Amino acid sequence: MLTEFTPVLKVKKRFKLPEETSVVIALLILIAIIGALRPTFLKPVNLLNLSASYAIAALLAGCIVFLLAMGEIDLSFGWILNLSAVLAGLAMIAGVPIWISVFIGIAAGTAMGALNGVLTVVMRLPLIIVTLGTASIFQGTSLISNKSGSVVPTDKEITGHIFFRALGGQIDSPVPIILIFVVLAFFVLHLTLHKTRFGYRILAIGSNPEAARLAGIPTKKIKIQVCALMGGVSGVGGVLFLGFRGAVDPSTGGQMLLPVVAAAIIGGTPLSGGAGTVWGSLFGALIVGVIGVGVVFIGINAVWGTLVTGLVIIFAIGVDQIVRVRKKRFK
Amino acid sequence: MSEKNVSNEARKSLCPEGVEAGSTKKGRQMKEKRKNRLRVLALATAMAITAGGLVSCSNSDEAASEEELTIGFVVHVIGNPFIQQIIDAAEMAAADLGVTIKVTGPAGAEGDAQLVAVQNIAASGVDGIATSVPSASMVNGLNEIIESGIPIVQFNGLGVGVNAPYVGEKSVASGRILGQMVLDKIGGTSAKGKVIVGNCYPGFPVLENRQKGVLESLSQAAGIKVVGPSDVKVDAAANFAAWQGLLAANSDALAMVGLCAPDVESIGKVNIAAKNTKTIGGGYDLTVGNLEALANGSAHISLGQTPFIQGYLPVYMLVDSIRKKIAINKAGFVDAGTEIVTATSVTEPFDLPALTFADLQAMATSKEKTRSYYEPVVQGYIKNWQENLKPISDESS
Repeated sequence: MLTEFTPVLKVKKRFKLPEETSVVIALLILIAIIGALRPTFLKPVNLLNLSASYAIAALLAGCIVFLLAMGEIDLSFGWILNLSAVLAGLAMIAGVPIWISVFIGIAAGTAMGALNGVLTVVMRLPLIIVTLGTASIFQGTSLISNKSGSVVPTDKEITGHIFFRALGGQIDSPVPIILIFVVLAFFVLHLTLHKTRFGYRILAIGSNPEAARLAGIPTKKIKIQVCALMGGVSGVGGVLFLGFRGAVDPSTGGQMLLPVVAAAIIGGTPLSGGAGTVWGSLFGALIVGVIGVGVVFIGINAVWGTLVTGLVIIFAIGVDQIVRVRKKRFK
Repeated sequence: MSEKNVSNEARKSLCPEGVEAGSTKKGRQMKEKRKNRLRVLALATAMAITAGGLVSCSNSDEAASEEELTIGFVVHVIGNPFIQQIIDAAEMAAADLGVTIKVTGPAGAEGDAQLVAVQNIAASGVDGIATSVPSASMVNGLNEIIESGIPIVQFNGLGVGVNAPYVGEKSVASGRILGQMVLDKIGGTSAKGKVIVGNCYPGFPVLENRQKGVLESLSQAAGIKVVGPSDVKVDAAANFAAWQGLLAANSDALAMVGLCAPDVESIGKVNIAAKNTKTIGGGYDLTVGNLEALANGSAHISLGQTPFIQGYLPVYMLVDSIRKKIAINKAGFVDAGTEIVTATSVTEPFDLPALTFADLQAMATSKEKTRSYYEPVVQGYIKNWQENLKPISDESS
C-alpha cells in the first residue's frame, strides 16, 4: 500500500524516435541520390504526381499491414480492387447515380473480403491458401462481367461528375485530391491499428493466436472483420482507380500484389505478425515508387532496370536495418 | 499484444507526470544523442533540398542542348522476344537519327504500371514518347501528357481515344488471314471437326480484334466447332501447359490457333510431345522459337507483324515531327504490314525483296541483317510516313 512516505519509482521518460524513422531516412537518401543525379526529379510537380500514381498501392499497403500484423496475407486484393471498380463502372454506365455506384463498388469489395474471412474461418485454412482460389474467382467474375474488355464510362454526364473531375485532376488543387484522400485514410488506419481495441486485438492475435483466444479475444470474428476491412479498402482503391484513370481494364490490379506487400515489408511490418506500422507502409510504398521512377530518370536500360530495382530495394532495406540496429543499441 | 503497444501502455502507467528526461547528467547525454539523431535526419533532408536547388541550373542546361533530342520508348512488357525485336528496331532508329533513346516498361503487362512508366519518362524530360497502349485506363493519362506538349506515337497496342497516331498491324484483317490459312489447311469450307483457339491475354484489344478475324474466317465452314477461345497465358511455361491440356482434352482437334507470340512455339512442342497428332498449328510472330517450330514441321503458319517497322517508325515519326515542327496530336493509323510465313513460303509486305525461310531465320538472330533488309522501307515507306498516315478506322477495317 502506498503512503505519502513511500518512495516513488521514478521512470525517466525517454525521447523515442518514431518506428518509421529508419524507412524515412532510407527514402530521403534515395530521393537525394536520384535528385543529385537528375535534379528535375525534385520538381514538386514531379514528386506530387509520383505520389499520386502510387497512392492507391500505398492505401492497400496501409491496410495489408493489418493482415500481416495478424500473421495472415491476402493474395486476392488486386482482383477485389478490379472487380469492385468493374461493378462500380458498370453500375454508372447502367445509369445508377454516381455516389450509389461508388457505394456498390466499396460494398462489393467489403463483401468479397468478408467472404475470404468466412472461408478462412470455416475451412480452418490460412488466408493465403483461401485467397489463392478466391483471387481466380474474383478475376474470373470480373472477366465475365466486363466481357473481357475495358469498362470505360464515356457519357459526359458521368465523366463531368465531381467524382471523376476531382479524382481525375480536372479540379485545380495544389495537391492531387487522391493524395489528400489517401493521407487522410492513413490517419484513420493508423489510429485504428494503434489506438483502438480492435487494433490491439489484431496485434494480440498476430503475436500469439492461442494466447489471444484463451484471453477471450474473439479471434474468428476479428479475422473476418480484418478480411472485410481489406476487401473494403480494396473496394475503395477500385473506385478511386476508376475515378483517377477514368476506366478499368481486365488486367487492372493483377500486378499489385508484389509492390503492395513489398511496401508493407520495406516499411517495417514483419511477416511474422504481432506488429505493424501503417505509416511505415506509406513510406515503403514511396520507396518502391521512387525506385521505379529513379530507374527511368537516371536512364537505366529497361533490361537492366529489374536488376537495379532489386539491388536498390536491398540497399533501402539495408539502410533501414542499420538504423534499426543502431536505435536498439542506443536503448 | 505487441511488444510496442505493451511497453507504451506500461510506460504511460509507470511514468509520473513532471519527470522529464534531461534533468540529470544521463538525461543531458540522452538529449545530446537525440540532437545527433536529428542532425542525421536534417543532413538527409538537406541533401535532398540541395539537390533540389540544382533544378534551375539543370533547366538552363537543358535549354542549351535543345538540338539533342531524347525519345522515351515504353513497351508493355520487358523480357518478351517479340517485344525485344521492336526495342532493337527503335534503338536502330535512334542511332540512325542521332538521338538518345530511353527504353522502359513494366516487368509484367499491366496498363496502370505502364502508364506510370510513361508518366515517369515524360517527367524525366524527354522530347517525345513512343508507347504501346494495351489498356483503356491509359487513355486519359496519355492525353494529359500530349496536352502538356510532349508528342506521343502509339505502336503495337492501340488505345482508342488517344490523340496520337498508331503504328501497327490491321488486327482484324490479320486475324482473317490467319483463320483463312488454317481453314485452307484443314479442308476449306467443307472441313468438319474442332479448332482450338487460344488467347494469351483476354481483353487485350489487339488480341480481341485478331480473335474476331480468326473466328470470322473459321465461321465460313459450318462443320467447324471452335473450342475456346481459352486463356492460354503469356508466360512461356504456362502457355505450353495450357496448350498441352487443351490438346489432351481435344485430341481429335484439326487445328490449334494462337493469337500471341509464345503460342506457335508451344503448339509445336505440344505437337512433338503428342507424337501421332496431325493437328495444324498457327499463330503469330516470327521469333526464333516460332520459326524453329515451322522449320521442324511441328507448327505450320505464323504471321509476322514487322517488329522492325513497329519499333523504327514511331521513333522516326517523333524525331521527324519534332524537328520539322509537324503536329501529330490526333489519331491516325500507319499500317506496319503483315508477314505471312510457312516452312515453304515467306510473303513480306511493302514490295520488300523476296526472302527464303532460311533468310528469315538468319534475320531473327541478326540485328545487322534485319536493318540491312529493311533499308528500302526506311528510305521509302518510313521516310514518307505522312503520306501513309490513314484514318484510325483503317486499323480495324
